[in-house]
Amino acid sequence: MKPITLMRSLFAACLLAASLGWATQAQAEETLFAQIGGEPKLRASVDKLVEIMLVDERINFTFADTDIDKFKSLLYDQLCELTGGPCKYLGRDMIESHKKLNTTNEQFNALAEDLYKAFDEVGVPYRVQNRVMALLAPMQPQVVDKIPAKE
Amino acid sequence: MAVRSTVLLSLAAAFAPLAQAQTTPSSAPVTSSSKSDAPIPNPPRNLIVPDRGKLLLTGGFSDVDGAGGGGLVPWALITGYGTEDSYGFNGHYTQVNLREFELRTYGVGIGIADRVEISAARHDFEVTGAALEGLEVSQDIFGLKVRVAGDAVYGQDTWLPQLALGAEFKRHRGIGNAGELTSPRQLGATDEDGVDLYLSGTKVFLAQSLLLNVTLRHTKANQFGLLGYGGDVNDSGKFNLETTVGYMLTRKLALGGEYRQKPRSLGVDDEGDAWDLFVAWAPNRHVSVVAAYVNLGSILGPATTVDRDQTGSYLSVQFGY
Ligand code: HEM
Repeated sequence: MKPITLMRSLFAACLLAASLGWATQAQAEETLFAQIGGEPKLRASVDKLVEIMLVDERINFTFADTDIDKFKSLLYDQLCELTGGPCKYLGRDMIESHKKLNTTNEQFNALAEDLYKAFDEVGVPYRVQNRVMALLAPMQPQVVDKIPAKE
Repeated sequence: MAVRSTVLLSLAAAFAPLAQAQTTPSSAPVTSSSKSDAPIPNPPRNLIVPDRGKLLLTGGFSDVDGAGGGGLVPWALITGYGTEDSYGFNGHYTQVNLREFELRTYGVGIGIADRVEISAARHDFEVTGAALEGLEVSQDIFGLKVRVAGDAVYGQDTWLPQLALGAEFKRHRGIGNAGELTSPRQLGATDEDGVDLYLSGTKVFLAQSLLLNVTLRHTKANQFGLLGYGGDVNDSGKFNLETTVGYMLTRKLALGGEYRQKPRSLGVDDEGDAWDLFVAWAPNRHVSVVAAYVNLGSILGPATTVDRDQTGSYLSVQFGY
């Protein structure tokens, strides 16, 4: 597809988003972190996620060896930083932390689905959930295929 | 990944004794420290069983021609819920009730390694009102689609949409219940059978909860091929534009609209463009439903003496694994 068509498509999508009343403009002042509901909501979401994923047979066995409290706090830091919150992620990068796993796409999507469910239970709105997912989705090559992130 | 490279082979060698996705786990004892770098193997998986690994809604639906897409428009997404590591298949039934016509379409589709899609569908079209009441037209459609670039969902950090090239081979099965009229050639069509070629670009804009699809189709098909291919007005085919815009309301529910140009090659048919407004629901990875208000434009207006847009309902149900 020609770049020009693409640009037009994107432009159309933005227009539509705007006309539907979900203009990103209006939310520009507020960080995604704040839209989630700040620290309490994000911590609750991570707790819920861990609860759900540990009973999800598609992925729970991968955490058999994992220090769950440490994992929770690292995932919180990562999501907090990604969404513009006042945190610094000091854990390993995504390739390093998943290199002992032979992660499949099914597992990657299973974790995403569990996070959607966790957000639902904690009461984070779906369109905010998707904005978080938009930040996580591009990590698929690193987590699944162990391909370094492009700069 | 080993899984990915073997999936196609294993499918080709279909139903060879339970191929396994992974080699047996190494016998190294699992250490209790999270510092351990011992690999954590996945449990052995039977490659014949689809992984059903895609996120809801991203398996797409079956479009009117049987390809993975929305209602009227094929998308660049590969049909079914199989990821790159597996495959998925489905069957669908679609009922379109228009003012003077009815279209029933049903078929099957398979998506392999999120790369190749093969589909087969049948169109049964019937005139339910007006001058030609009772007339029936039928055709078969074989579809092939190959994803050539991008990932509609994971590629959130790039402008590149998922791109796929597709072909639809349509074979006319004749016109029935219309006396002397048995072939679309009698209406001025050049051929009974034809091939559509298309390029689709699909992108999910997660941050906006939007799905956008643009399809460029080269076609000679009159009324989706039901009235044959090419004609007195135009016989070289046309590049037509088709588009879908969808807004995801929840993880399982989307609404949107579609537009599909039609080539208008027959003098006797004032063929109009088609559009729809749809609600799509995927409660789980086995069932999905699309309900739409559809306008297929004018169909054989002059001949049927009903020269008006054919509007009506579109209902499609898909079952998959
Ligand atoms: C975008 C998706 C993902 C994100 C953002 C993510 C994030 C993280 C983070 C921040 C850590 C801690 C890193 C550290 O210990 O320094 C981690 C570790 C881990 N992740 Fe993920 N992860 C993702 C996908 C997955 C998937 C799909 C699985 C399993 C199927 C998985 C399984 C694990 C396991 C088992 C650990 C612990 C490793 C260990 O204990 O050494 N992750 N992940």
